[in-house]
Amino acid sequence: MSQGGLSRRELLRFGAAGGAAAVCAAAFDASAAAVLRVGLALVSPAAEVGWTKQHTLGVAAIKQALGEAVEINIIDNVFQPQDAERVFRGFADSGHRLIFGTSFSHGVATARVAPQFPAAVFDSCAGTKTLPNLGAFEARYHEGTFLAGIGAAKLTKSGKLGFVGGFPIPDIVGPANAFLLGAQSVKPDVTCTIIFMNSWSDPGREKEATLALVAQGCDVIAAMSDGPAAAQTAEQNGVWSVGYASDMRKFAPTRQITAVTLDWRGIYVQDARDVIAGSWRSQSRWQGLKEGVVKMAPYADSIAADVRTLLARAEESIKSGALQPYAGEIRDQSGAVRVRVGAAMGESDIRSINWLAAGMQGRMKG
Amino acid sequence: MRIVLEPRAAPRRLMRVAAPLIALLATVLASVPILLALGLNPLSTLKIFFVEPLNSPNGLSEWLLKASPLVLIALGLAVGFRANVWNIGAEGMFTVGAICAGWLALHFGAGGHAWLLPAMMLAGALGGMAWAAIPAFLRTCANTSEILVSLMLNYVAALILSYLVNGPMQDPEGLNYPQTSVFAPSAMFAPLIAGLRINVSIWVTLGAVFAAWLFLERSFVGFQMSVSGAAPGAARYAGFRQGRMIWLSLLISGAAAGVAGMMEAAGPLGQLTPVISPGYGFAAIIVAFVGRLSPLGILFGGLLLSLLYLGGEAVQMSLNVPASLARSFQGMLLFFLLAADVLIWHRVRLKRA
Repeated sequence: MSQGGLSRRELLRFGAAGGAAAVCAAAFDASAAAVLRVGLALVSPAAEVGWTKQHTLGVAAIKQALGEAVEINIIDNVFQPQDAERVFRGFADSGHRLIFGTSFSHGVATARVAPQFPAAVFDSCAGTKTLPNLGAFEARYHEGTFLAGIGAAKLTKSGKLGFVGGFPIPDIVGPANAFLLGAQSVKPDVTCTIIFMNSWSDPGREKEATLALVAQGCDVIAAMSDGPAAAQTAEQNGVWSVGYASDMRKFAPTRQITAVTLDWRGIYVQDARDVIAGSWRSQSRWQGLKEGVVKMAPYADSIAADVRTLLARAEESIKSGALQPYAGEIRDQSGAVRVRVGAAMGESDIRSINWLAAGMQGRMKG
Repeated sequence: MRIVLEPRAAPRRLMRVAAPLIALLATVLASVPILLALGLNPLSTLKIFFVEPLNSPNGLSEWLLKASPLVLIALGLAVGFRANVWNIGAEGMFTVGAICAGWLALHFGAGGHAWLLPAMMLAGALGGMAWAAIPAFLRTCANTSEILVSLMLNYVAALILSYLVNGPMQDPEGLNYPQTSVFAPSAMFAPLIAGLRINVSIWVTLGAVFAAWLFLERSFVGFQMSVSGAAPGAARYAGFRQGRMIWLSLLISGAAAGVAGMMEAAGPLGQLTPVISPGYGFAAIIVAFVGRLSPLGILFGGLLLSLLYLGGEAVQMSLNVPASLARSFQGMLLFFLLAADVLIWHRVRLKRA
């Protein structure tokens, strides 16, 4: 399998005792190879749309941009941290020099493997730690869900929104709050019921959660999971939905208000170019509408022209920084003031948010 | 004309040992058309599947690491299965064992105590046994089905773990991520070889293989259990107490699964997360049967199943084939194993109507 020099079989000859040294040698050997091997670990089974799909588009963009200079290898359905660590080690051990993790459950694993393979570059989406050869990247999801919330408020009849989230972590809790805050910015008495699935990809549970929300009178369902089950169920039940990661119009042809789509291609291609050029530097990126990592899918036809104008203006204001989705005053469920009038939450507060905003029904803990 | 299966009086010993190998061979043969249909060279794909994963020190280390919990859990389960006690709850016992061990790790990890790891192992065993005591108690006192009770308790254990890592045991500095802090070095197994993940806990699993062999093949209690499984009536007549068999079966399998959970937490995981078992509790049932409920067989069964996981990843990594290929390999293997079993225990006869 290796491109030249030390093969794996030869490695075996070094015997187990010389393992560590041999592993390092393999890493150096790979750095001399002409083709950059890129490894991608996906948290869910590869699918047509969703979080995982957007990451495969990232590596596909690398292939498109760099062609023969790169080789792409993907392993899907890597959820458990102990499996993730094996997959990352496997990638690094077999000469992959740019390795992507794509879930918070990959975070600890990349942080553990990276120091042992200094010749490889790791970049971890939703990771929280950076090392000299481990970067992290993440999207400002809340900017998109805030806009979706404005659209939702304009279309809801019951004034009740629903949100299906994967895990009660800041990456989900924050955007859920922003969804409600966006809605309340145009219709202050809107509420939102939130259900956490404690899974990223569980279409059955996602459908159940969506049905439960519909039964409670929610007529707009937003989801942050890895799949189209919520959008599909909303469509079948005649309520609106907000897609996530990919445009899910195909699964909700008449009922998708918009989708908060994620476009990681720029980050993936930049990483590959930098690794090849030897200029890659570890960084933690947190990008949103302005950088084009978060993009709104086309709005539904039912969104009136004046609302479109409002949404376009809000999008521009978020990009310029004039509009802060988390600007005060924001109260939490208990009524306590979390963000004062005139203030806005900073990056570290947003990224560690662990409370639900006033008007949210539901609890953080399962 | 109809086809009937006539039971054989006594299958040949050789065939019983050979069955898993025949099944493996049949799997390999049956995979050839599938691989051809996918446009892959069968020979090189099979090589990548079965040989590539073991071609480097890292690969060997990962192989043993993944097999270890499967073997340990399956050993415990086999004890019960032999006595017709169907514990489907190893997943939950694994989880509870890891929780108990994890609690110790988080509270005493900072002290750097040498007793911590043994204490964690004891806690894991006791946790798994406590969880297994519930179906044992209900079966012996209320005659409930241990299959259903142990299965349902898996979900209870998973929810308790989810509650703990979202609440009392959550990492205070973890940005509200549902996970505990990473364990201190004193609460984790030392690597067997620097730079690899394989750790000293595999000696525990190997020791358990030997202990299980002694217990099942050489002890009177083990014999009693086999008898009460194979011939419950005879066992009752001989005065073997059934309640004792149920308690023993469940407690032993609980202890094994609990220790496996502890070894996973103190090994490759190094912390507790909302889900800690990648389905080991269920996969171990397969391992127990692939291994014919015998300790040595289980050792090979565990290694084989672990290799199937790694092989699946290897072909994905090298050839970009879907992961479903590995799953279909697993399915075929079990199918052929069961088919081989039928033919070993039965004779196919054509009968006139």
